[in-house]
Amino acid sequence: MRVLVVVAHPDPNSFNHTIASTAAASLAEAGHAVTLLDLYAEEFRAAMSHDERLAYHGDRPLVDPMAERHAGIVKQAEALVFVYPTWWSTVPAILKGWLERVMVPGVGFVFDENHHVRRGLTDVSRIVGISTYGSSWLYVKAIHDNGRRTLMRALRLNTALLTRRSWLALYEIDNCSLARRQAFLRRVDHKMRSL
Amino acid sequence: MKAYVVYCHPDPGSFTAAVRDRAVDALSAAGHEVRMSDLYADGFEPSLSEPEWLDHLAPQRIHPDIVVYCENLRWCDALLFIYPTWWSGQPAMLTGWLDRVLVRGVAWELAQGATRISGRLTNVKTLVAITSHGSSKLINVIEGETGRRVIGRSLRVLCHRFARTTWLALYDVDRSTQAQREAFLDRVEHRMRRLWWSPRGLAARRW
Repeated sequence: MRVLVVVAHPDPNSFNHTIASTAAASLAEAGHAVTLLDLYAEEFRAAMSHDERLAYHGDRPLVDPMAERHAGIVKQAEALVFVYPTWWSTVPAILKGWLERVMVPGVGFVFDENHHVRRGLTDVSRIVGISTYGSSWLYVKAIHDNGRRTLMRALRLNTALLTRRSWLALYEIDNCSLARRQAFLRRVDHKMRSL
Repeated sequence: MKAYVVYCHPDPGSFTAAVRDRAVDALSAAGHEVRMSDLYADGFEPSLSEPEWLDHLAPQRIHPDIVVYCENLRWCDALLFIYPTWWSGQPAMLTGWLDRVLVRGVAWELAQGATRISGRLTNVKTLVAITSHGSSKLINVIEGETGRRVIGRSLRVLCHRFARTTWLALYDVDRSTQAQREAFLDRVEHRMRRLWWSPRGLAARRW
């Protein structure tokens, strides 16, 4: 399977990066073709520009070369894995911007003749979200876990009909012991091997 | 009342810009003092940087490019967001504004030994989101209305305990008629003219 792993964390020494490299290594060992995109390392621009907004509904919505390259990888992918810290209950701006600027019409979805949105990622049959939270499970549920909804529902609507979704969450990371972190990495490893 | 409008859209000729103009005019006409931030015009950088992340639990100083936003946040009684909904939530520009501007000491505090933050935006008694969606209400409900919940829940807990939230949304904007868009602008104006908050009024209604 061709797998795209997207990681969005400003600190290259963060636990999120450890998770992403563990996931990529486990996927590669299991025989998958892995591409790892580190949005901060690539200095991906989060905000959609005025030119991109004007081109959005046109024939060539991909104006920026980096967004175009990422879109090319997305089009090849059969599984998408996202690794990010949850901030203010949702995805970091850089990952939200990645969805907006890369998953444009013709990549993430297509418009039909009545301007209704139709699936664009029909080759993608697996979505995995891996996130770390400062809050507890109960608090995250009360606040409604918006990042998870964005990936597991909004993005899911555009992938293959029988897409399988998985969610791996580490809550209360600020008070997290080393043993819990290692156990979480084993969970990530196990999930990736059984993708 | 002091109203702070955070506006976010890359295109100055957009429908969202028209919504902003109507909302700001209505607020001014109703006698409110209005401050407005246009994130795209300001050239705001939405990605939280590595140094900001590393000292987010104990910020030594407020980054110069967010000082104005922090001051406005502490100044206002009503906080309004005007933006288009993309991928079921706020645009990255506005998501990043929340990531970067809601810093410790301005928006929240973490007491010694506490595991949960406590809100410091108790001056904010009215929260308003005005947005437009390309897709229908049904699709947005299936997607989980994440943008609505980021403001109505995640940000709401930092504000005054009786803060009211108002949600004004035009669904299906891509297929809307001129009449529908004008009706929405009228709705925005009508609502903005009646933007008020009183703890006594709210208490009387609830209990």
